[in-house]
Amino acid sequence: MTALDVAFAAAGVVASASGLLAVTTRHVVHAALWLVVCLGSVAGCYLVLGAEFVALVQLLVYVGAVVVLVLFALMLTRAPIGPNPDISTSPLHRVLAAFLAAGVTTLVAAALLPLAGPARRRAGTATGDLASALFGTWVWPFEILSVLLLLALVAALAVSRMADRQGPDAAQTLAESAGDPVGKPLAEMAGRPTAQSAGELPAQPAGERA
Amino acid sequence: MTQASRPSSRGAVPGILKGLATTAKTLVRPTHTAEYPDVPPHLPPRSRGVIALLEENCTSCMLCARECPDWCIYIDSHKETIPAAAPGGRERQRNVLDRFAIDFSLCMYCGICIEVCPFDALHWSPEFEYSELDIRDLLHEKGRLGQWMPTVPPPPALDERSADPAEIAATTRPARGASKLVTGERATAGARAERARPTRSVGDDSPSGAAGATPGEAAAAEAQARPTPPPEGEDQK
Amino acid sequence: MSQPIEVTLRALAVLVAFLVLPLLVGQTEHKVMAHMQGRLGPMYAGGFHGWAQLVADGVKFVQKEDITPAAADRWVFRVAPAVALVPYLVALAAIPLSPHLVAAAAPGSAVFVLAVTAVGILGTLMAGWASANKYSLLGAMRAAAQLLSYELPMVLAVASVCLAAGSLSLTGIAGAWSPWWLLWQLPGAVVFLVSAVAELQRPPFDMPVADSEIVFGAYTEYTGLRFAFFLLSEYAGIVVMSLLFAVLYLGGWHGAFSDVLGWLWTLLKGFAVAVLVIWLRVAWPRLREDQLQRLAWLVLVPLALGQLALTGLWVVTTA
Ligand code: SF4
Ligand code: SF4
Repeated sequence: MTALDVAFAAAGVVASASGLLAVTTRHVVHAALWLVVCLGSVAGCYLVLGAEFVALVQLLVYVGAVVVLVLFALMLTRAPIGPNPDISTSPLHRVLAAFLAAGVTTLVAAALLPLAGPARRRAGTATGDLASALFGTWVWPFEILSVLLLLALVAALAVSRMADRQGPDAAQTLAESAGDPVGKPLAEMAGRPTAQSAGELPAQPAGERA
Repeated sequence: MTQASRPSSRGAVPGILKGLATTAKTLVRPTHTAEYPDVPPHLPPRSRGVIALLEENCTSCMLCARECPDWCIYIDSHKETIPAAAPGGRERQRNVLDRFAIDFSLCMYCGICIEVCPFDALHWSPEFEYSELDIRDLLHEKGRLGQWMPTVPPPPALDERSADPAEIAATTRPARGASKLVTGERATAGARAERARPTRSVGDDSPSGAAGATPGEAAAAEAQARPTPPPEGEDQK
Repeated sequence: MSQPIEVTLRALAVLVAFLVLPLLVGQTEHKVMAHMQGRLGPMYAGGFHGWAQLVADGVKFVQKEDITPAAADRWVFRVAPAVALVPYLVALAAIPLSPHLVAAAAPGSAVFVLAVTAVGILGTLMAGWASANKYSLLGAMRAAAQLLSYELPMVLAVASVCLAAGSLSLTGIAGAWSPWWLLWQLPGAVVFLVSAVAELQRPPFDMPVADSEIVFGAYTEYTGLRFAFFLLSEYAGIVVMSLLFAVLYLGGWHGAFSDVLGWLWTLLKGFAVAVLVIWLRVAWPRLREDQLQRLAWLVLVPLALGQLALTGLWVVTTA
């Protein structure tokens, strides 16, 4: 058992513990913060496994951007301090969820455990290899994925434009919507990607000009 | 020039650069900071720093205390009887100041007390360093108020060829009803003028002229307290 | 067995740098800002031109009462300053002062620094939400909106440099630097500097802490040492961003006698950038929230994309 094994085990334990806490806590914002810890320790796992670049991107994108976005949306809508009794489920739900979780765990374990053979040498993945794999072998899935994201962006733009056709401009500033009392949470959440896409769409031609 | 260049400047960039240039220029210029405790501030002589009391001039008339908007002047006094100087003469009374205090924690430095004092007993001094750790110590009793007196700057000189001050002018003007000239009336006017400007001797035939010849305000005040002046009144009789 | 000692020594060195450099920048800010405004700045603490002012401030902060508002979310409130501070400490470790002088050499250190500093936003968000104060919440949301918008142009600008150098490590980037980059990467450099100042929430991008509008934004409820941590994280952020700018765009240790004095060159260049950041604070007024978003999405992102395209074109044609 090397130091790397210990580090991996520790990161894994932290990841699963924080993941559990994220789904069991009754504080909405705490759940998001536990998610941060969970994603961070998953990044740690990647790092220990030698996929440095993936770990860093995990940190940059998920912790630095996605969870911040989640927190932002939570705060824009209603995130009271203290436990929120609304986010609770009936005992039946819990039992069902437990069964489902157990099933998934067995499935994954059954698939993965036979693969775990003797210890292997950890080959650190070079960023170049990663890039050539991503943009060579896997280029089509990658591109399709980006088209999907683009579609989502355009759709979000369309939704928000429809939502406040009579309201102010879609590129309304975030501070103003923040100043809005409780507000319409859905429109606000849709408003966030709108601001991005509104900026990004004209950005392309302008960028080529520069 | 800036007015002319403003319409021609396009967008925000010139303004942005101008801001940088201004701050950079200020950076290399000497600063305006007055390093106060190390370098004493240059105050004009008539700054309102603290109020000084010339106790000898005060007649306990209470005008200042009554006019003070904050009621922060406290005066206690009692009357004292001065026995008659000559046998068969009349006893006289005068006010003796027991306590005179200004509470500078309440004072708002309006200067009304100084304006109303008819006897020039209160003066502005530019001294201002009398902060205290305990607010109660800001109540200056008459001893402390008197200690400020040496810091009072001399009154500014009158302009050349300016009219005489009102007190002097009053003595040179013929008194009202001058045809029925009463010597006693003129005598009192002369004495008042001497008190205001003791060094200038006003030619007068009244007996108080001798007392007025002693220079200095304190001496004049003393003269007022001494039983010598009564002859004025007796003259009038 | 010398490895643990070495690791400890390196960690200590980073800690010392982390405690000293921000104070240096802070004191410079005191003085430069004062003189730019025709003042002298601190003059007493320490004797000579108030050099110990920030130390005295630190002592003062330690003495102050540590208050947690009754309605606050206790744990989140207390942990937030650390979350804001630690990322910069970690980032500082990855910035090389010279090819051999780096606390923690990592192959992808450019991405590492960006990724780690991005985590610092969480501290502000946590502080703002947990304070149970409307101004704090507003400040946190402004901060989140601002940091998310400026993260993208910054990453794009750094990507352009990485592309130009053909390396993701800061040591490699600075090693591949040549004076010609000053012109070639100029748009990217401008984008990076602007978004760095915005990430630090420094004027003119101090909307999240605009004291005339929302008291002190997310930090309104903080007192004592925790408040000092937020301040320290701001100045540590200036240090990290300035050094990063010096390494990415100004060639880091390139200069006369770079074999021996390389680290000094990096520090000097970084210091010059820090002074520039201070200068911007003094000279320019605060941007409004909509101007802020407009600048990010309509100016910086296109500019960064253009720079990326230019760099890509050049690299492909010359390779
Ligand atoms: S200056 Fe004004 S407030 Fe002060 S003691 Fe004189 S009258 Fe009162
Ligand atoms: S200071 Fe002047 S106004 Fe006040 S009691 Fe004395 S004489 Fe009267």
